[in-house]
Amino acid sequence: MMTAVVYEWRRLWSVRATWVMSVVYLGVTALLGGGPLYLGDTRMGVQTWKGLYSTNGNVLCLVMLSVVASQFFGHEYRYGLIRLTLSEFPARERVLVAKTSVLAAYVALMTFVGWSVLGMVGALAPKGSISTSGVGLNISGGQPSDMWQVLVFGFAYCVLAMSITMITRNLAMGVVLPLLTATLIEGLIQGFSSLSNGKLDWLVNALPFVNGNAWLGKAPDSPNAGLIFAAWIVGAYLIATLSFFKRDA
Amino acid sequence: MRIEVLGLDKHFKNVHAVQDLSFTVEPGRVTGFLGPNGSGKSTTMRLMLGLDNGSGQTLFDGKKLTAHSPVTRTVGAHLDAKFFHPKRTAYSHLRMLGAEAGISKARVNEVLQLVGLESVAKKRPGGFSLGMGQRLGLAGAILAEPQVLMLDEPANGLDPQSIQWLRDFLKFYASTGKSVLVSSHLLSEMQLLADDVVVIARGKLIAAESMSKFLARASGSAVVVRAAEATRLGELLHNMGIESSANGLNTLTIPNQTTDRIGEVAYANGIKLSELSSQTASLETVFLELTDSGQEYRLGGEAK
Ligand SMILES: Nc1ncnc2c1ncn2[C@@H]1O[C@H](COP(=O)(O)OP(=O)(O)OP(=O)(O)O)[C@@H](O)[C@H]1O
Ligand SMILES: [Mg+2]
Repeated sequence: MMTAVVYEWRRLWSVRATWVMSVVYLGVTALLGGGPLYLGDTRMGVQTWKGLYSTNGNVLCLVMLSVVASQFFGHEYRYGLIRLTLSEFPARERVLVAKTSVLAAYVALMTFVGWSVLGMVGALAPKGSISTSGVGLNISGGQPSDMWQVLVFGFAYCVLAMSITMITRNLAMGVVLPLLTATLIEGLIQGFSSLSNGKLDWLVNALPFVNGNAWLGKAPDSPNAGLIFAAWIVGAYLIATLSFFKRDA
Repeated sequence: MRIEVLGLDKHFKNVHAVQDLSFTVEPGRVTGFLGPNGSGKSTTMRLMLGLDNGSGQTLFDGKKLTAHSPVTRTVGAHLDAKFFHPKRTAYSHLRMLGAEAGISKARVNEVLQLVGLESVAKKRPGGFSLGMGQRLGLAGAILAEPQVLMLDEPANGLDPQSIQWLRDFLKFYASTGKSVLVSSHLLSEMQLLADDVVVIARGKLIAAESMSKFLARASGSAVVVRAAEATRLGELLHNMGIESSANGLNTLTIPNQTTDRIGEVAYANGIKLSELSSQTASLETVFLELTDSGQEYRLGGEAK
């Protein structure tokens, strides 16, 4: 098993795209975390350290990681490399486990480095812009998330991106589909729902990112939000697994 | 390592690409895998490696590929000259492929040198020529010195010197007791390389035998003679019920005859010949014949 992980690790870091997207991710994290501190946005109260550290749970940060996540299978299909990979590791479950573990390691690594960057941003911020007490601001809405939630959400988002690429065999789809869903499509559905006097509430309550964000922001009225979000991610991953195992390489 | 291909079969939507195909590849020999464009060579190779789904199985020394470890020391495959990331350097590409067998950096450099890519080892292969891509693909296949080499049209895009080099290399590789399966749609390319041939057309096995046997059947299908009295010879043959066609000045092409027979006729009639040769039919011509009268041919051949 280790050799498949080594293969995957080398695959990941031997293209410049990975390095570029990782740096962009850290840049966006710094901007998004630092922005409110410098602008003195106190509408939701003064920012706290906990609030600052939930910044990289935001979809706008995660989209950079999802580019890398999509490349886990996207590059393989695009350049025919999947046939080299599977000639070397004919047992497909090994390839899938290796890719998923390396993706988890990558997301964890980037999240930790992201927090270090946010720590520096906070340390350099104007005096008084961060309080050590109080609730603080979650840029995704609601209350600041716990740090483990940021990590789990980031991984889940990237698993979704990777799964969509596995199903569509198209790199761009893995990036665009989750991003559009999170930032646009679900918003539109919520809009229609409020216009239709709540007839579409059941749909809104089932949407992946509505639930994901409710879970991240600890919304008190959505106790099952985490479960519903998890069901979406696990479902996508299972379909992707099936499609990877059953189809021609 | 002996490869047994047993009843491989594969349907695409509208094409029955591979039809109940069985053959063996023996160690210590180069086996040429021949067939015209679209005959199913690449599909067969993918089926052998488990990349495509289909029925039938392929055994490597009696076991499935997944039962061998490390796999890359068992089979090295080179399926396409374009299977690399355009921005991953040749060196990094091979380092990645070396993961499963634990290939050292020194071995990666050695192989790069062997295939003549050492000067571009740290370059991105996006700008490589077709020939350079073939070399990189070959490098990946031989990296772990596998017992079996499977190469899909590795000579495409190579210049004559490189083809010569590849031929020598593959012959040498097989001579160390390993198995080499090389596909091509050109018989001429295989004539000097392969010890055995597996020939397919439209996904079906046409022949699986030694190259010399196959050539004996492919050639001799026509005799070419050049003589000052070509016209008289033509008439004589016609009277004997042998048809010939004039082919330029003083030259006759006589199908379905042997040089022995035509030489005899000319000698008996005192016709001086300036040339008497058998025309080796091109693989394409043979295929046309074989797919029309494929049944007979297959019965004649000792299909393994
Ligand atoms: N992925 C695919 N989907 C549908 N049809 C396919 C696919 N791959 C191959 N085919 C069809 O299967 C047949 C065999 O193709 P294959 O590529 O195996 O032939 P080949 O002998 O390798 O040809 P060439 O000499 O051109 O490389 C062809 O008719 C081809 O159109
Ligand atoms: Mg082919």
